[in-house]
Amino acid sequence: MFNLIKKDVIIQKAQILLFIPLIMFFAIFAKHVSPAFIFFVASTFIPLNAYIYDERVESNILLNSLPYTRKEIVAARYLGAIVYMLCSIGAAGIILLVFNYEYMLRDIAIAAGLFFLFTAFAFPLFYILKPGYIGMVVLISIIALAAVMPPVIRFLAKHLTSITEFLTSLSMTTIYFSSAGIAIGLYLLSWLFSQFIYQRKAF
Amino acid sequence: MEHIVELKGVSKHFKDFSLENINLNIKKGCVTGFIGANGAGKSTTMKLMMNLLQPDEGEIKVFGLDYASCGREIKDRLGFVYDSNVFYEGLHLKDIRRIIAPAYKNWSDKQFYNYIQKFELPLNKAVKTFSKGMQMKASLAMALSHEAEFILMDEPTAGLDPVFRRELLDILQDIMADGSRTLFFSTHITSDLERIADYITFIQKGNILFNDSLEGIQKQYALIKGDPALLDPDTEKNFIKIEHSSDMFQALTNDAGKIKELFGNQVMIEEATLEDIMFYVKGANHQYV
Repeated sequence: MFNLIKKDVIIQKAQILLFIPLIMFFAIFAKHVSPAFIFFVASTFIPLNAYIYDERVESNILLNSLPYTRKEIVAARYLGAIVYMLCSIGAAGIILLVFNYEYMLRDIAIAAGLFFLFTAFAFPLFYILKPGYIGMVVLISIIALAAVMPPVIRFLAKHLTSITEFLTSLSMTTIYFSSAGIAIGLYLLSWLFSQFIYQRKAF
Repeated sequence: MEHIVELKGVSKHFKDFSLENINLNIKKGCVTGFIGANGAGKSTTMKLMMNLLQPDEGEIKVFGLDYASCGREIKDRLGFVYDSNVFYEGLHLKDIRRIIAPAYKNWSDKQFYNYIQKFELPLNKAVKTFSKGMQMKASLAMALSHEAEFILMDEPTAGLDPVFRRELLDILQDIMADGSRTLFFSTHITSDLERIADYITFIQKGNILFNDSLEGIQKQYALIKGDPALLDPDTEKNFIKIEHSSDMFQALTNDAGKIKELFGNQVMIEEATLEDIMFYVKGANHQYV
């Protein structure tokens, strides 16, 4: 299992070198960007890249021909994503510190929450979709989001007072713990679902 | 003789193609050639053996173990060479080694570098720049470095130039020399098999037509040439397929002994090559096995 997780670093050597300048770019030029967003981009960088490599049928044939079970292959993906998320956030945190880009622990918490939510939805998609369709699905989702988001935001703005009232009625710890619980719960569900799909896949 | 792979009543159905009730044993310590036309089911059968596909019905055992409970152990002892490159194509061979080596219990770096040297493979060049022959050698080096007892090769000689094919067959002969390995490889270049195979498995339209020793096949099958006047509905039954030309017929039989008895010196009996067998069986009007 550890070998499967390590594999992602070996494959992405070159891309990982790109990671540092990317965060530096944010730190220098994107002063108005929320630090949570930078952490989020950083955390998804390696896991998403790894997926793009492993999406190919040939990669799946290779991994499944090696002495690994399908359960392990999926587990390595989900556990590896957490490991890389933690490392990337750590690295991004250091880079931002060096460049005097201010952030709070809260930004990291939000980014980690978003990471769990995002990967919980994205990972099973990679297993369901046929290779080569991912790009199209991402494109369509962006367009769909662009179409759907404005009305949603308008709706939220209208009812924002009641939402914020509800949220402020909760204590900060309740909010943090319940959102962490929801995000991690979704991630675990997504893991089980991916495992179910992957075991039935033919290559 | 012990069997490395046993397929019992294995069926796999696809929209436009099915493997039906396959029963097949692969003998330990031997080279078995797997022949059949394109689309006959060779790759599907091999994928079933690798557990890349699961059968709809039937049982598959490798080393006497089944995939459901011992999948990892089976793959630890098994080597694979596919007809296309399955390695991450942007990586160098030395990085691929770093991914593959830790997966196996019996991996030997010494063996690996030995084979890399022997096969003259570059360690610091992306796999995508490799020729087909080099990719194949790389897969073979991986399989040999973890002391695979059973090596499955899907069309290893397809797309190779004749000189390299010879070289590969020599390598295969070499690795079989100590008798500890079993080799199963599919090909449609049947002349390769006549050089190295002990057993031949012939698949057609999802059915195994025979799985016999090469020697046995060569004894059993024969090409017969003779005067069409010799043929009548009774004698025709002894042939798998008959081709007529103006003053002669040419036919394939799978019972050379009986033909000798029937016709004696009235016909010409020639040894049938695997290619002859494949060709005639493909055109056969009736299922003869």
